[in-house]
Amino acid sequence: MTMNNNGPIEGRISIKNVSKIYDPDGAKVLAVDDCSLEIQPGEFCVIVGPSGCGKTTLLNAVAGFHSISSGSIELDGRAICTASHTEPPSAERIVVFQNGALFPWLSVLDNITFGPEAQGKMTRGEAVSRARELLAELGLAPIAERYPGEISSGMKRRVEIARALINDPKVLLLDEPFRAMDALTKGVVQEFLLRVLDKMRKSVLFITHDLEEALFLGDRVVVMTTRPAQVKKTIMVDFPRPRTYRVRSSQRYLELKEQVFEAVHEEARKAFEAGEREMA
Amino acid sequence: MNLIKLRKAIFSKSVLRGFISVGGLIAFWELGRRLQLPGLAVVPAPSEVFAALSDIVAKPEFWDHWYASFTRVLGGFIAAQLIGIPLGLMMAMNRYFHAFTFPLLEIMRPIPPLAWVPAAIIFWPTTELSIGFVIFLGAFFTVVVNVIGSARNIDVRYLRAAQSLGSRPIDIFKRIILPAVLPGIFIGMAVGMGITWEVVVAAEMIAGKSGLGYLTWSSYVGGNYPQIIIGMISIGIAGYISSSLIRLFGRFVTPWQSTQ
Repeated sequence: MTMNNNGPIEGRISIKNVSKIYDPDGAKVLAVDDCSLEIQPGEFCVIVGPSGCGKTTLLNAVAGFHSISSGSIELDGRAICTASHTEPPSAERIVVFQNGALFPWLSVLDNITFGPEAQGKMTRGEAVSRARELLAELGLAPIAERYPGEISSGMKRRVEIARALINDPKVLLLDEPFRAMDALTKGVVQEFLLRVLDKMRKSVLFITHDLEEALFLGDRVVVMTTRPAQVKKTIMVDFPRPRTYRVRSSQRYLELKEQVFEAVHEEARKAFEAGEREMA
Repeated sequence: MNLIKLRKAIFSKSVLRGFISVGGLIAFWELGRRLQLPGLAVVPAPSEVFAALSDIVAKPEFWDHWYASFTRVLGGFIAAQLIGIPLGLMMAMNRYFHAFTFPLLEIMRPIPPLAWVPAAIIFWPTTELSIGFVIFLGAFFTVVVNVIGSARNIDVRYLRAAQSLGSRPIDIFKRIILPAVLPGIFIGMAVGMGITWEVVVAAEMIAGKSGLGYLTWSSYVGGNYPQIIIGMISIGIAGYISSSLIRLFGRFVTPWQSTQ
C-alpha cells in the first residue's frame, strides 16, 4: 500500500432496490424498503436518519454480516449480496464499529498486523514493519506496544482506523464510530480521519446521528426515512478538501445544516410518533 | 525512592489494622484459655500451639502430609482443567453437542463432591484414585460452567471485526475465542482451587491415610490438640499459596487484564 493522492479506481458500491425483512418469530418487520444508493470510488458518503431506521442493517449487508431479502449490492460490478447469496465478510470492505472493536488482548501493533497476517498477505516481519511505518505516519508510534486498555478512546479510534487501512480496503464502513465521545476528542479524531483519507482516498460509507459530523466529513449526506429505511433526501456537500474545522463557521455550512436538519427532524418526529402509537 | 515506597507499604495503616485484628484474635484466644472462658477453655492456647510447633515442623511426616495433599489437589485440579476446558469450549461452540451434554451436566453438578465418596470408593480400585476423582469433580463443574459462560459472552463485535479483517475460522478460534475466554478460565480456576482444598481435606478425613486433612482428623482421634490447630492453619496456608499461584499465573498469561 502506498499513500498518494491519486484517486482510487476501485470501490464503487451499488445498492440496488435493497429490501430487508426481519422475521424473528413470524412477526415480519420491514427494516429496509427498496433502497437504492450508489457510492462512487473514493466518495465519502454519510447516512443519517432516526434511531432504528435500518441504517446499520444496510451497512451490515454491505459488510457481509447478514443477508438481504431482495435487490442486490455490488462492489465494482460484482454482486456481493443478493437475496440468494451473501459473500462472506472480507478485508476489501472493513468495518469500524460503534463502540470500537480493538482486541483487548493484543497490543496496538498486533491489532494492526492482525489483518495482513490473518489473510496471509504478509509475513509477520513484513506486517510489523509496515505497521510501524503506518503508526509513524499517523503519529501513533509511541503507543505501539500498549494494550488498548491503556490508551484513550480517541487514540483507540485512530488505531482502529489504522488497523483497517493497513489492509488497503476498497471500502471503509464506519458505523457511528465516534459516538459517545466528548465533543473535543470527537473533533480531533474527525480531523484525523479526514487527514488520513486525504492521503489515501477510499470509498467510505459512514453512519451517524450527528449532523455536524455528517457535513464536516462527507461529500454527500443521505438522509434516510424512518423505518422502513428509504432514501429521503441527498445533499451534496461541496466544501473543498482538505477541510479543517473552520468549515464549520462558514455561511454555506449553516445553509446545508439547515437543509439536513429539516429533513432529519421530520423523520425523527415521525419515528417518535410511530413509537408513541406502538406504546399506546 | 523504592525503599521508601516499600517502607510505606509495610508500615501502612491497612497493614497495621490487619495486625491489630489478627493480634487481637490471638490475644483473646490466649486469655480465653487462661481465664477458662466457656468454649475456649478446652481449646489449646496459642502459646501451647506455638510451643508444639517446632516439634511438629521438625518431623518429616508433617511435610509428607503437605506433599500428599498438594499432589492430590494438583492431580485432580489439572485433570479437571484438561478435560473441563475443551469440553466447555465444545459445549459453547456446538449447539448440538450442547443440547446433548448440558442436561447431563446440570443433573450431575448439584451433587456435592463429597456425596460421590462412597460411589467413588466402590468404583475406583484404590483409595488414592477415588480421592483424586472426588477432587477432580470439585474443580471440574466450576471450570466447565465458567468456560461456557465466558465463551458465550464474547462480544460479537470481536468476531465480526476478525471476519472483516479476513480471518479464517481457525484463526478466529486461536486469536479471538481463546484469548477472550482466558480471563473466565482463570476465574473458574481460582474458584475451583478453593473447592478443591475443601474437598481434599474432607476426603482425607473420610478415606485417607495421609494428607493435611488426615493429619487434622487423626490429631483429634489421638488427642493431640495443638496439632489440630496446626493442621487447620496448614490447610489455610496451603489454600492461600495455591490461589496466589493461580493469580500470578493468570496475570502472566493475561497481561492485558490489568489494563482494562
